[in-house]
Amino acid sequence: MKRRDLLAGAAAATLAGPALAQPAQNRVLKFVPQANLTSLDPIWTTANVTRNHGHMVYDTLYGVNADFQTAPQMASGHVLEDGGKIVVITLRDGLKFHDGEPVRAQDVVPSLTRWMRRNPMGQKLATVTDAVEVVDDKRLRFRLKRPFPLLFMALAQVSNSPAFVMPERLARTDPFTQIRETVGSGPFVFKADEFNSGSRVVYTRFADYVPVSSGAPSLTAGPKVAHFDRVEWNIITDAATSAAALQTGEIDWYEQPPPEIQQLLRRNRAIKIEAIDPLPLTGILRFNHLHPPFNEKKLRQAMLPAISQADFMAAVVGDEPQNYVATCGMFTPGTPLASDAGMSVLNGPRSIDRAKELMRAAGYTNQPMRLIGPTDILAPSAMTQVGADLVRRLGFNADIVLTDWGTTVQRRTSREPVDRGGWSMLFTAFSSFDFVNPAAHFPLRGNGNDAWFGWPTIPRLEELRDSWFEAPDLATEQRITREMQTVALDELPYIPVGAYKSLTALRTNLADRVSGLALFWGIRRS
Amino acid sequence: MWAYIIRRILATIPVMAIVALFVFSLLYLAPGDPAAVIAGDQATPADVERIRESLGLDRPYLVRFGAWAWDIFRGDLGTSIFTNLPVSTMIQQRIEPTLSLMVVTLILAVSIAVPMGVIAAWKQGTTIDRFVMAFAVLGFSVPVFVVGYVLAYIFALELDWLPVQGYTPFANGFFPWIENLILPAIALGGVYIALIARITRATMLEVLSQDYIRTARAKGAGQRSILFVHALKNAAVPIVTVVGIGVALLIGGAVVTESVFAIPGLGRLTVDAILRRDYPVIQGVILLFSFVYVLVNLLIDLSYTFFDPRIRY
Repeated sequence: MKRRDLLAGAAAATLAGPALAQPAQNRVLKFVPQANLTSLDPIWTTANVTRNHGHMVYDTLYGVNADFQTAPQMASGHVLEDGGKIVVITLRDGLKFHDGEPVRAQDVVPSLTRWMRRNPMGQKLATVTDAVEVVDDKRLRFRLKRPFPLLFMALAQVSNSPAFVMPERLARTDPFTQIRETVGSGPFVFKADEFNSGSRVVYTRFADYVPVSSGAPSLTAGPKVAHFDRVEWNIITDAATSAAALQTGEIDWYEQPPPEIQQLLRRNRAIKIEAIDPLPLTGILRFNHLHPPFNEKKLRQAMLPAISQADFMAAVVGDEPQNYVATCGMFTPGTPLASDAGMSVLNGPRSIDRAKELMRAAGYTNQPMRLIGPTDILAPSAMTQVGADLVRRLGFNADIVLTDWGTTVQRRTSREPVDRGGWSMLFTAFSSFDFVNPAAHFPLRGNGNDAWFGWPTIPRLEELRDSWFEAPDLATEQRITREMQTVALDELPYIPVGAYKSLTALRTNLADRVSGLALFWGIRRS
Repeated sequence: MWAYIIRRILATIPVMAIVALFVFSLLYLAPGDPAAVIAGDQATPADVERIRESLGLDRPYLVRFGAWAWDIFRGDLGTSIFTNLPVSTMIQQRIEPTLSLMVVTLILAVSIAVPMGVIAAWKQGTTIDRFVMAFAVLGFSVPVFVVGYVLAYIFALELDWLPVQGYTPFANGFFPWIENLILPAIALGGVYIALIARITRATMLEVLSQDYIRTARAKGAGQRSILFVHALKNAAVPIVTVVGIGVALLIGGAVVTESVFAIPGLGRLTVDAILRRDYPVIQGVILLFSFVYVLVNLLIDLSYTFFDPRIRY
């Protein structure tokens, strides 16, 4: 007998405390998320952990499957009128919020309006929309200036603020102000009374949730059937402690173990390690285009022969080629818009000497540059370390500033030159969903002062992006995005430094996990 | 006596005011931006700016400090930028685990360290004395997190005697509560035991050489009576002082221990708040820690009158 059983027995024998009704152990799933859940509003923040919380609690009109096909989720269907300029969407029967109120079009319309002010695809949709209006309790209508082929893809966004539906009273909150209550219509109910930020987040199965009646669960499409009565997110910040808890069975699923911990967990037969998303995340080297030295295009290009994506990725996920892609372009490898257009600059022979020659030819004369990066976020930290070594070997007059993530994200907002505290280069990573297409692909924007940090001005990229939104079919989308990649690999708003799979660790008695992100429908204890 | 207590309590007000000003200024000057953390990696600069405005972080220093100080004056510690919860609620959620950890550590440390120090002084120069001193050096030298990992590996992973992580409230029963606290308390208590044991030994050596101890021996008092009745009570003032000073050590150590053992206490709350620049939470927790420290010092000062009747306030 283990001493812990003895202690438990002693406790039971000596204390005649009230018997608390607890769900059976196998109806509870214990999970360690990638980060602490601090904000509960998935529209207000784009943090991935809040997005995952959003998918537990809220639902979307449309879902998207692993093949990037959209399918109705809260919607039962839609009707296109006036050549696609009028779109009427009808809600499914039986939809209810967790407070027992029915989901009505009056809730959906303000939810979409709020979302359209924050999500990039929503913002684009807003520019072609005359009105989103309630027809009746069950139907809403988009009145568009012109047909918008990506409407349903926009409504089915998985990441970066999905179009979650909230009750009208919450949806009317300013999009830059956090909602104060969490009430959704998704498969799980958020237990506000048990929420302890930094420690535990609890969800219970929503008994009144009616999954879609057909298809198989795939990403956010298909039936969302919850097999656990209760899901507990235990916030454990220490990787070794999380790993130990997984090994002892105190938790069932550890979302993002770092590579060195993965090695340890692989030795345990009760644990399996698998890619949480079959598609990889992309790492990028971002230049600051506002100031010397990287406002000079030829200097940006000079770095290309020195970039070895394998080196960067080995630092992130370890030396296992099956866990990374070293021929990564501007779009997520393995998705329909990924291509090899213009990739010869990254796929040819790698040479530091060649890069140095190009630096000289570009007129680099030892101007100072500053690389900023975090030390406390795994992938950006690892890529920054490799990047720091690279700029030193290339002979840049480099100031390497490594801080915590909170400081890095503040510092990157600075538009000042290097001698006034600005920055020249940084590394970060984006999820597979962000780089699937140009819609939410921030680093691929070329809209100058309004662009993502680094602020490149590349009008051709913007023209191509605009035309992509109007593309009538996949072939046209692919033609446009090939050109976007060619332009980007010439202008270099950023350099892709590889793509890597994020691995997750879970007990082998868990089966039927839905791939893509930490989703809690489908998964069950075998 | 009462006048002294009231004077000391009143004296905490300017101390707390200085702490408040210092903490606020330090956070104002420190790099980092909660708006950028909230907005996430995918946010645009315009999004970050809008969030900063909505949080009032674009207001001047004096305006922000004035608003915060006024709220504190009214007993309102503010609201977390991230969770939207009142800071007082967050502290309330976290105070029990930290308090439990500190109390268990304190009891464990005092009940081990004081006898160790007394015995080491009694057996001065012997193997026992050297063993106690070696243990003290080890306790000072090995970081809390190393002890924590080693304990977790042996007693949780290998032997499966105790849980690796987490905290069970006392309301759920004594055994589940203590089960989660044993390893963290041992890990956290190491430095504390070393500190108290060394001071106890040194003070006891001094006391044992006093005339009245020789007199007690001459009168035929037993060894136990000499050590624990005559000597220890007279050695208590410096020991109690160190126990009090050690509360600061415990608060600092709790931050690490709570991270290693995933205990949802104030230490974890502080670290998380610092990392994401949740200013109201940082300010609230530091004010609380300062207040606790001032209060502990007051209690220690008052305890002197019990151990040494010559001391009067």
